[in-house]
Amino acid sequence: MKEQSNNTTTILMVGNPNVGKSALFNRLTGANAVVSNYPGTTVDYTAGTLIEDHRTYEIIDVPGTYSLKPRDAAEMVAVRMLDEHRDATVLVVLDATKIERGLYLALEVFERGIPCIVALNMTDAAHDKQIAVDAAGLQRILGVPVIATTAISGEGVKHLADMIRKAQAADISAIRSRLNGQEQNRRSMAGCGGCSGCGGCR
Amino acid sequence: MGLTADERWDIIDAITQRTVGTGTYRRTLGDALGDLTIQPLTGIPVALGVLYAFWSIFGSFAGSLVTDGFMVKLFDSSWLPWLQAAWPNPDSILYYLFVGDPAADNCFEAFGALTSGLFVAIGVVLPAVLIFYLMMTVLEDSGYLPRLAVLMDTVLHKIGLHGYAIVPAILGLGCNVPAVTATRILETRKQRFIMMSLLAIFIPCGAQLGVMLEVIPETVGLVMLYLIIGFGIFGFVLDRLIPGSNPEILIDVPPYRWPAWENVTRKLWSRTKGFLKEAVPFVLLGVLIVNVLYLTGVIAALADLFAPLFVTWFGVPKETVGPLVAGFLRKDLAVAQLSTIAMTPYQMITSVVLVSIYFPCVATFVVMLREGWRELLAAIAVLIAVVFIYGGLIHAIGILMGVA
Repeated sequence: MKEQSNNTTTILMVGNPNVGKSALFNRLTGANAVVSNYPGTTVDYTAGTLIEDHRTYEIIDVPGTYSLKPRDAAEMVAVRMLDEHRDATVLVVLDATKIERGLYLALEVFERGIPCIVALNMTDAAHDKQIAVDAAGLQRILGVPVIATTAISGEGVKHLADMIRKAQAADISAIRSRLNGQEQNRRSMAGCGGCSGCGGCR
Repeated sequence: MGLTADERWDIIDAITQRTVGTGTYRRTLGDALGDLTIQPLTGIPVALGVLYAFWSIFGSFAGSLVTDGFMVKLFDSSWLPWLQAAWPNPDSILYYLFVGDPAADNCFEAFGALTSGLFVAIGVVLPAVLIFYLMMTVLEDSGYLPRLAVLMDTVLHKIGLHGYAIVPAILGLGCNVPAVTATRILETRKQRFIMMSLLAIFIPCGAQLGVMLEVIPETVGLVMLYLIIGFGIFGFVLDRLIPGSNPEILIDVPPYRWPAWENVTRKLWSRTKGFLKEAVPFVLLGVLIVNVLYLTGVIAALADLFAPLFVTWFGVPKETVGPLVAGFLRKDLAVAQLSTIAMTPYQMITSVVLVSIYFPCVATFVVMLREGWRELLAAIAVLIAVVFIYGGLIHAIGILMGVA
């Protein structure tokens, strides 16, 4: 489970239980992970492949967890996967209707200094519940790409696949200063391949 | 690094203030249903209704409609006579292994790999698992399972588990293999061990249920009753014997959602495919192995060896040793085989319960081993004790009722 060949990047899908990680995983890889509407459907990891723009990604669907302090054996698998794949990129999946607890886990992941990208999933359910989440604003504050998706219908998934290569390590102190209103002069993102609306070059 | 939890929540508050807007929320029908199905007063009758509907659809579709209405006719009046006529030399070993009894007039009694084996796998079990998985998928995808878990919480706490243990239990009614892995959602090792043991011992799988419905339709209810009572009694005992805690957890109850057609068909297909690929070869192989054991006299020797235990203690004929051997490979096969042995209805109930509880099938065995060999060994010890005690108890109840 060490590093793959040079041009394969490992992507770990991390998020709270029942936010649609497996549904998103199936959309990205065309695999057949079991998807249900109850927390704890995925208790083991599943791996699949995504080839996007001549790059190969090995995507790993990880059991849902509320934090990186594991509470049960399934959450332990999630933390173990993060520990084993130190060079991986993390795709943090948030439920747009329950964003706070998802962000808690996201911050824990950010603190590890791993390159991250955020999928703001279940936007359809959020819309039904009259919850509006500003994905662009979130991206500006977090400093990592944030893509709105609806895994069950496939909306936004193509865009997400396209943006994986722009994953960035988030910087907690920069997030804090942005929240304090100090719009610091951001270094242009390393390896930035074009405008994703992150505001990094303006 | 390392923020404290409070620092994280401060950051999150600041982030959501800037990025999340909420409109006025109107309660939907789904929310109302959500509340009704989780409050004990309305929820328990609904739960009973759901489980009853589940069981009766299962029985009428798999048992009556497909198997009796179609498969039995196909196999008994077309396939079996054809094979008996077409396969050369009824006295040969190959005939015995693949076709079985040349005088048999139905596919249960013939007991060849291509007669009973195929009939059990395709004719009886396939329709059963198909309808079972369809209904289970609806339960899973609608969001009903976590609500059932909340309702069951008080009861399950009495046997050392919490409500969420209902999820592996229901998955186990389909197949014990994914259910064993699903016990990972339980928090402590004690809970996992209790659930895994009870699962392997008392939860019959969909394949076995399908065969039970077919061969003992009038007593399957009693068998289930014995299994549920056993689940309760031994859960209660294990809870008191095993050290460890049984903490409360918060259950994240998702909103009701309509099952997405695409997801339902996808799951149904991959589970059915899994059954065809893994279970069918096992059933056929099982018949072959059992037949070889009969031919070589191994089963007769085992039957004589265990006769005192079986006849005096459990009160069942010694011939039931054969099906118990088959049961290690496939429980469905074992029940089918039991149905061909002459015994009283109560002996039949006892022996079907014994087949269910005595040993997990080999596939379940393997996944349990993967979850930890110490637990597996302990579970086997529990299992042997349970089979011995409960088997004797059922016999005693039969004697008291005057039916054994």
